Amino acid sequence: MSNKSAYSFIYKMRIQKALAYRFDVFANIIFQCIAMFATAFFWKAIYSGYDSVQGAGVYDMLTYTVISAVMSILFVTTVEFKLMESVKKGTVAMDMLKPVPLFSIYFFEDLGNITSLFFINGLPILLIGSLFIGMPLPADGVSAALFFVSLLMSFFINWFFAALFSLLSFVTINMSPLIQVKKHILRLLSGSIIPVWFFPEWAQGILGALPFVYIYQLPLDLYIGRYTLQTAMPKLTIQLVWLVILSGSFYAAEKSMTKKVMVQGG
Amino acid sequence: MERIKHYIDVSLYHVKLAVLTMLEYPANFVGWLLSNPIQFILGFATIKFVVARFGTINGWDYGHLAFLYGIAVISHAFSMIFFVQGWFMGEYVVGGDFDRYMLRPLSVLFQFFFTQFNIVGFTDLIPGVCVFAYGCHKVHFHWSIGNVMAVLLLITGATLIRGGIYIIMGTFSFWTKSRNDFAGFTQEFFDKTTMYPLSMYPRMMQIILTYIIPIGWISYYPAKDLLSGTGMGAVISLVIGVVTMTLAALFFKVGLRSYESAGQ
Amino acid sequence: MDTIVVKNLKKEYKIAQKEKGLAGAVKNLFVRKYEILRAVDDISFTIPKGEITAFIGPNGAGKSTTVKMMSGILVPTSGDILINGRNPQKDRVHVVQDLGVVFGQRTQLNWDLRLGESFEMMRHIYKIPKAMYEENLKVMDDILGIEEIINIPVRQLSLGQRMRGDLVAAMLHSPSVLFLDEPTIGLDVEGKYAIRKFIKEINRVKGTTIILTTHDLGDIEELCKRLIIINKGKIVEDGPLEELVNRIAPNRNLVVEYYDENYVEHEQAKIINVEGNIVTYQFSKKEITGAGLICDISDRAKIKDATIKEVKIDDIIRIAYRG
Repeated sequence: MSNKSAYSFIYKMRIQKALAYRFDVFANIIFQCIAMFATAFFWKAIYSGYDSVQGAGVYDMLTYTVISAVMSILFVTTVEFKLMESVKKGTVAMDMLKPVPLFSIYFFEDLGNITSLFFINGLPILLIGSLFIGMPLPADGVSAALFFVSLLMSFFINWFFAALFSLLSFVTINMSPLIQVKKHILRLLSGSIIPVWFFPEWAQGILGALPFVYIYQLPLDLYIGRYTLQTAMPKLTIQLVWLVILSGSFYAAEKSMTKKVMVQGG
Repeated sequence: MERIKHYIDVSLYHVKLAVLTMLEYPANFVGWLLSNPIQFILGFATIKFVVARFGTINGWDYGHLAFLYGIAVISHAFSMIFFVQGWFMGEYVVGGDFDRYMLRPLSVLFQFFFTQFNIVGFTDLIPGVCVFAYGCHKVHFHWSIGNVMAVLLLITGATLIRGGIYIIMGTFSFWTKSRNDFAGFTQEFFDKTTMYPLSMYPRMMQIILTYIIPIGWISYYPAKDLLSGTGMGAVISLVIGVVTMTLAALFFKVGLRSYESAGQ
Repeated sequence: MDTIVVKNLKKEYKIAQKEKGLAGAVKNLFVRKYEILRAVDDISFTIPKGEITAFIGPNGAGKSTTVKMMSGILVPTSGDILINGRNPQKDRVHVVQDLGVVFGQRTQLNWDLRLGESFEMMRHIYKIPKAMYEENLKVMDDILGIEEIINIPVRQLSLGQRMRGDLVAAMLHSPSVLFLDEPTIGLDVEGKYAIRKFIKEINRVKGTTIILTTHDLGDIEELCKRLIIINKGKIVEDGPLEELVNRIAPNRNLVVEYYDENYVEHEQAKIINVEGNIVTYQFSKKEITGAGLICDISDRAKIKDATIKEVKIDDIIRIAYRG
């Protein structure tokens, strides 16, 4: 089997696997909708008496909420758990010897998982959000186009960050609580819950220097039309730089780890 | 009495084991000591920033919000110490990990929670206590004996309410046989509903969170009462906590009958 | 009174039927068919005090399910179980106070801490009096050599060492009944020897009633007088090993080596093979003993050597599994 067909097989398997647990599918929709509604109500409540704060109206915030909920599905990664399990069970050296590169397998598994999650969770959430919270339309055509470009890079930044983080499995014994904390902190720092432009200037400055805002905040800002084509370009360039930095450091770290594992035999 | 003494003895021994385990992996503990407070300091900073932009949230100013947030985080911390396993019940059900508890002459639910203390939960207490102290200072909270009692009752009640809800949610996995834990969503939802005044949400949601899923009694109602000088809300919190926990324990007992262990 | 009474025990599982392929997976989200799987199908037996009984049967036969119902972990679909006169579901706490259980595939020891800590934990959980705890530990140390591994963290123990630890942990509260689910699985010769010696000793000294499930025929030969064979959820054989062997394979072969090619016949034995001066007789144990046959033949002709070929126990079990 060539690598290409192996990847497409892994991808399809993951889609079927995600569908196998019926309860999980429906419970996920319900829980995510509840969290989304709580956020939407939150914005409605604190916006009472204000038309616009920091250049965003309540309608922008509702759009922001719905799109952020759908986006969070594209950022589900399992690579951290997979590598942790592999290290824990002591099979990692053998897994690395397989003809198909280990992290490529993890990537296509995540991609398959996300594809099915998008259809079985993302679309229902988008539908429910549009019906009960407000139709989350992009500001205009250019905004929409910029959003998709940025989203694609966000997806890879998020995945490479997760993969880089997963390498900690080699140095720490109990990863699973760390993974939870990473998720929580990432959501707080990336503007997925509250946009960072509500923060004071100095905090925005700090967060702007970190890669997290380029996962959620930038695509969302583009979507609700906070940038024009001209002002968006520098931002997208920084996003691209982060993508290069993270993927580059991942490849370097992965290479040295692989070498170490092969020498020690796991 | 004999039985209670036995249970306390077992719990205390497991506290010792939890400390020993923690010492076995010091790096983990240091990791938590750093990351847990960061989570809540970030959460609190978020509130501060939002208040700075919007003035007040539903009539609650910064001091009041700190008071509310403090109660929410402290009860969260205690629920993490005693009841965090509830979040991972699905994992135990699917993995057949209840077997060992059922083989021992103690209540299964008791063992599930009190033989694996999550000592690192204490790291959540640090930001909670800091923010609460700050809030108390801002609202000029009077530390009379009555108020001290009220705060203690309230924290106990709030912890029991949280624990009860975790148990009820986890118990469903006996039937669904699902490994999925909704820790992330649960925390996000609890954060939104316990750290901000409940009154800002639509009427329907308030009713649900008051009478059906008593999240409002974790922090909002008792804090509101305490701020207006009465400990009534704290007492009701405790009562609701005890009731929730009792119902949760009964529900768990029913669920356990459908436990299928692992393999055959 | 019998220590264990099991009557008409049944356990059913509901299994979701899943359709293949991507389209099937989507369809399964909304429509789902269930099938009833009967893992244990009307099993009855009683076990008297102090007996060692083996449950054997192919994978998925229902052995573990039965043991798990007897130890109160699973709730039977129907039927009755009494352990020392009590029902393990209704009276779980009392039943397990006098019950030890070891699952070979998983441990009840605390993975992160030294082995001794797990024993102390048992002392607290079962309220074991200090004197009894120390006495039990000493007795078991004599058989299993626990002292040398007691300070090692469980995660660093070998499988055999861990199993020894698990056995001790299960016996510290001196239960009168012990269930062992595949206690020798994956162990080396030395490990198996230690575990078997322990089981025999405990049974002899304390009179513990023991049920073990196993795939290891060595366990059966060395430990058990009684054998219960389970297949597809039903008991297909129940009785002493010897009786089973005699019934399923009543015939034995006797191989006689003569000095030359002149051999004799015997009215109670059939000659099934002749190879030069080596002749194989087949006889029924009911009609004549092996010794009697050798005696008769050596009376009639001069023989150099005679060996009775015992049947292989695996063959017996394989035949029994087929039902």
